[in-house]
Amino acid sequence: MPKHYRPAGKKKEGNAAKYITRSQALKQLQVNTKLFRKLCIYKGVFPREPKKKFRGNHQTYYHLKDVSFIRHDPILEDLRAKSAYRKKIIKAKAKRNKELADILKNRQPEIKLDRLVRERYPHFIDALRDLDDPLTLVHLFAALPGSDRLKIEVKRVHNCRKLSHEWQAYISRTHKLRKVFISVKGVYYQAEVEGQKITWLTPHGMQQVLPDDDVVYDVLLSFLEFYETLLAFVNFKLYHSINVKYPPILDPQLEASAAELYALARYFDANSRPSEKVEATQEEESELRLAQLQHQLPSNEPGALMQLVKDAADENEEDEDTKECKNLFKNMRFFLSREVPRESMLFVIPAFGGTVSWEGEGAPFSETDQSITHQIVDRPTQGHVYLSREYVQPQWVYDCVNTRIILPTEAYMVGRVPPPHLSPFVDNEEEGYVPDYAETIKRLKSAAKNEILPMPGMGKENLDDPQNLLAEGYISRAEAIEAAERKQKMMTLEKQYHDELKMELDGFKYSSSVSDATKQKSDEDMETGEEPLPDVQQISTADMSKLLMSRKKRGLYEAMKKGQERKKAHVDLLKQRKKKIEAAEKFKKN
Amino acid sequence: MRERKKSSAVEVSSVKKKKEKKTKDNNEPREQKEKEESQSIMKQQKNTTSRSKKEKQRKATEDYQSLRESELSGDEVHGTDHDVDNADDHHEEDQTDGSEGHRGVEESDSSEDEVAPRNTIGDVPLEWYKDEKHIGYDISGKKITKKERQDKLASFLANVDDSKSWRKIYDEYNDEEVELTKEEIRLVQRLLKGKAPHTDFDQYADYVDWFKYDDALHPLSNAPEPKRRFIPSKWESKKVVQYVRAIRKGLIKFDEPKEEEPKFYLLWGDDSSAAEKANHLAYIPAPKPKLPGHEESYNPSLEYIPTQEELNSYQLMYEEDRPKFIPRRFTSLRSVPAYENAVKDSFERCMDLYLCPRVRKKRVNIDPETLKPKLPSRKDLKPYPVACYLEYKGHKGAVVSISTEASGQWFASGSTDGTVRIWEVESGRCLRVLEIGEAIQYVAWNPLPELPVLAVSAGQDVLILNTGLGNEEEQRRVKDLLHVETPTAPDVLDLGLVEDHLLKNLLLALMFTLDGVFGRMASQGRLPLHVFHPTRSIFFVSTKKNIRVYDLLKQRLIKKLETGLKEVSSIAIHPAGDNLIVGSREGKLCWFDMDLSSKPYRVLKCHPKDITNVAFHRSYPLFASCSDDCTAYVFHGMVYSDLNQNPLIVPLEILRGHTSSNGRGVMDCKFHPRQPWLFTAGADSVIRLYCH
Repeated sequence: MPKHYRPAGKKKEGNAAKYITRSQALKQLQVNTKLFRKLCIYKGVFPREPKKKFRGNHQTYYHLKDVSFIRHDPILEDLRAKSAYRKKIIKAKAKRNKELADILKNRQPEIKLDRLVRERYPHFIDALRDLDDPLTLVHLFAALPGSDRLKIEVKRVHNCRKLSHEWQAYISRTHKLRKVFISVKGVYYQAEVEGQKITWLTPHGMQQVLPDDDVVYDVLLSFLEFYETLLAFVNFKLYHSINVKYPPILDPQLEASAAELYALARYFDANSRPSEKVEATQEEESELRLAQLQHQLPSNEPGALMQLVKDAADENEEDEDTKECKNLFKNMRFFLSREVPRESMLFVIPAFGGTVSWEGEGAPFSETDQSITHQIVDRPTQGHVYLSREYVQPQWVYDCVNTRIILPTEAYMVGRVPPPHLSPFVDNEEEGYVPDYAETIKRLKSAAKNEILPMPGMGKENLDDPQNLLAEGYISRAEAIEAAERKQKMMTLEKQYHDELKMELDGFKYSSSVSDATKQKSDEDMETGEEPLPDVQQISTADMSKLLMSRKKRGLYEAMKKGQERKKAHVDLLKQRKKKIEAAEKFKKN
Repeated sequence: MRERKKSSAVEVSSVKKKKEKKTKDNNEPREQKEKEESQSIMKQQKNTTSRSKKEKQRKATEDYQSLRESELSGDEVHGTDHDVDNADDHHEEDQTDGSEGHRGVEESDSSEDEVAPRNTIGDVPLEWYKDEKHIGYDISGKKITKKERQDKLASFLANVDDSKSWRKIYDEYNDEEVELTKEEIRLVQRLLKGKAPHTDFDQYADYVDWFKYDDALHPLSNAPEPKRRFIPSKWESKKVVQYVRAIRKGLIKFDEPKEEEPKFYLLWGDDSSAAEKANHLAYIPAPKPKLPGHEESYNPSLEYIPTQEELNSYQLMYEEDRPKFIPRRFTSLRSVPAYENAVKDSFERCMDLYLCPRVRKKRVNIDPETLKPKLPSRKDLKPYPVACYLEYKGHKGAVVSISTEASGQWFASGSTDGTVRIWEVESGRCLRVLEIGEAIQYVAWNPLPELPVLAVSAGQDVLILNTGLGNEEEQRRVKDLLHVETPTAPDVLDLGLVEDHLLKNLLLALMFTLDGVFGRMASQGRLPLHVFHPTRSIFFVSTKKNIRVYDLLKQRLIKKLETGLKEVSSIAIHPAGDNLIVGSREGKLCWFDMDLSSKPYRVLKCHPKDITNVAFHRSYPLFASCSDDCTAYVFHGMVYSDLNQNPLIVPLEILRGHTSSNGRGVMDCKFHPRQPWLFTAGADSVIRLYCH
């Protein structure tokens, strides 16, 4: 009897009963590959790895439950109905019944994915956790040109643009952006929403290439369809959480001049105006409000008091990180030159509390404005220079954001090659290699901290607070608490810093004493003459204890060692290159 | 004929309603006309055979013409649709039909296509050529001239003379006379009689009822059509009235866009209800894409940019090994181009998301050093052999076997050069050289110190040698003993035969050590390895892969130890007797605890090559293994008297120093009986002593 023979009447067992291959699944569901792919994408069904691949390694296995999960979903029927409907249209067209074809086209059944979104992400936090890919894809499509041949509709591209701007507006408004990184692939942003770190990539604002070979656009479009729905619902929820109506109604003029983000920001301001009336002292927003009043944008008048309470609560809920981000560019006014990537800047600068304007229509203030503190320029030379402001390259903004301090602008002046732009996502210590500029930044950071610690920062705060208290009785308590907290935090920081300093001093001493001790020891060893032998033994003992490991553990150990070695090799390579570069520089100087 | 005409007229008039049918129906009368034509021809032939053929023909056409006209005048069917042209059409059609008919007669079934007409003018009225000299054009485009018209009289006379003239018909179209064949005539005759044209066609064949079959229960319906088929539906008219009224009242509206629900709403309004457990499988979130490092920056530090040489070296690599991303550096943000693989990258990510099998994997994030077992410090386990203290040189071939004397003062070594040497341990002095003449396989001292006797196995023989050590009394005893001739083969050693009590003791003692002799042989694939239990009457025999344990008293198998090795090469037993080590050809060392199970308590993979021998120390908790890779391992192997505590095994030292010769390394290792020293015999003809 062959080994695989199963007697008739006996049920399948084990993996063979639990898993089916892809082709089997197709047969069971009575769908073609295309439809199956779509279903998998919509439902979020993915292949699984059975412990034993009973049909061979080259097959894709799906869990039986996953497949029946698809089978019982009404979306399957909907998709079938849709394809049947499409056939009707084709038939009408073939019979040259244009009238009927048009009627049918207008009445096409729409497939709604909201139920699937809810099913896949029962909690909002789940959706946030999985938001990286949707954001990246939507941002990518927002930058793609529409193409009839590839079925990329212009309507969809616009929808993607809209969604991405809505998302950015929310992040910027609530100051949730944490890190920005300009890479060759595009700009990476990292935001923290409800404790979830969400990272997405936006392509550089250039004409994107649409490769023809090895990209199946159907797959991308299916994913996009789901992601669009998901992102729209997420945006709705987020807007709802800050009491802004969704979808936002934008100023058509601004929209036309491709300043949607700014339009959105204005929309926010308009919608949450009542709360701002109280915080009337915020100078940086007064300009915006002026513009707003002129345009008389719609606003949510009712429930002003409620909103006030809510906002106050929000203020309290804001964590320290957010506060830090909010105040980074406080009291700074930026002006963007034409060549600067405007969208990114309009997103980043307000997210960190700055005010921004640009060259072009609908800008809040013009280049001649005397209150501008920084002008962002990305050209070899700057013709007319205002002495009252600093001219910096765009990288300065991103580096400031990542380091959370205002960096000195000398290195980023117009016409210079800026210092290296480092990734904020890397833990240098863990990587084992710290680039030079990271060290410099660290020093600058500690210097900045030091500066704040003793006098100016605290004093200012203390002075500011009473004024606020007098001006606004409402939020006095919150402010007071906040101030106290801040003070406490400062104190602890100061203390910590001092401790660290002390430790460092001690450490030096300690290390020196240790080295002394070892020296003495080695001297003794030299005398006895037994030193070298144990050393060799020490090496061999390491191997010796490996003898007693089980095979599994030994494999694991060796794999880990290999990984460490690879990492070390990489670091060594970097160090070697650096040495070479330094040597070359020295040679040049001489 | 009249009836027929009428019927055709009726048919045509009925056809008037449906235009499409018209042409089809028009064909019908044409057929009739053909028939009539031929009929008239035949009649005339019969009546007036004397008439000229031409006249006949003319008459026939005239006859047809008149018929045609009567038909036209008879009803107004064609009045509107067919004007004069049409009439002409018909006329010429008739003519062509006539020609068709002739040709049809000529070659029974064939169509016009097969034999092209000589004339190529097509469907034009022949009247056009009436006054011309030619009747038309042939295929090559040349004019076909009319034949000379014969004198009527001459032609008549010719006809009278020609008996076949009645068969001839003039073809106006091609301007030639055609003679009908006999078959054709017959066919025409049959038609005139009102029969089927072909003789083989049975007009009165039996009727086959295709709709009738044996098992039919009911006849086909013969019911008359119901009334409702003829009168308009009342229900329908009511419904129509209803609709009309609804539309008038404005209840039904057309083309009004539906009231759209808001597309998006608060989907996660209440998270509490979502707590119900879905009965499908757990969702495994896709791993997030890797976050970019410094090297992906548009302006990375210089050290991240690969040099030109490195870039060149990438080209030499396999495509899979090449780095996927090569860092680049741009001096300003404005010079950064669009990333060319942006769409491709996200496509690949999408493919991964829906096609990659997902598995939850536990990733250990620990220091690899913690994986190593915690072992006691080696310092605490001293003393053990650490370094080479002495080398005993003198043998000329590989030293195969060594054995220490019970007191530990001397040891003997056997070599392939055919000599046995006895050495003093402490000084390294070679005391005696015994020439055996054959390659030595094994040497063993008598474990009893009072009788310094040495057993040597060489070739087929086992020799028991007097070493000449000890004081005089001992020597005397030895000589007494060895006076008895010993059998050559150890297999036939019969203890019962030996009379002398002392000798019996000696041989018994030898038996315990001589097992090594078999061991040697076994390693050559002859005899199984075996050892005796040091205190009890238990006997261990190894097969190729397993070790069988026999009770000698009860004479039966007690246990079978499964080593899991490929081939056992050596075994040694702990002096307490409960533990056993087994060395194997693949360099693995197994420690068996007899109290635990039949599987090895621990397997140590230490040597890359064959283990040649393993040894326990008699008193120290030490054991050693030596191998062909020229090393010997020393282990600490503590066996506790407490049965709850498993033996402690700690690898202590790797002893090196021997050199390989002929692919063999260390051939044998033995511990000193008193001291924690190890002797190793190398294939490089050197014996080494390692001391603590």
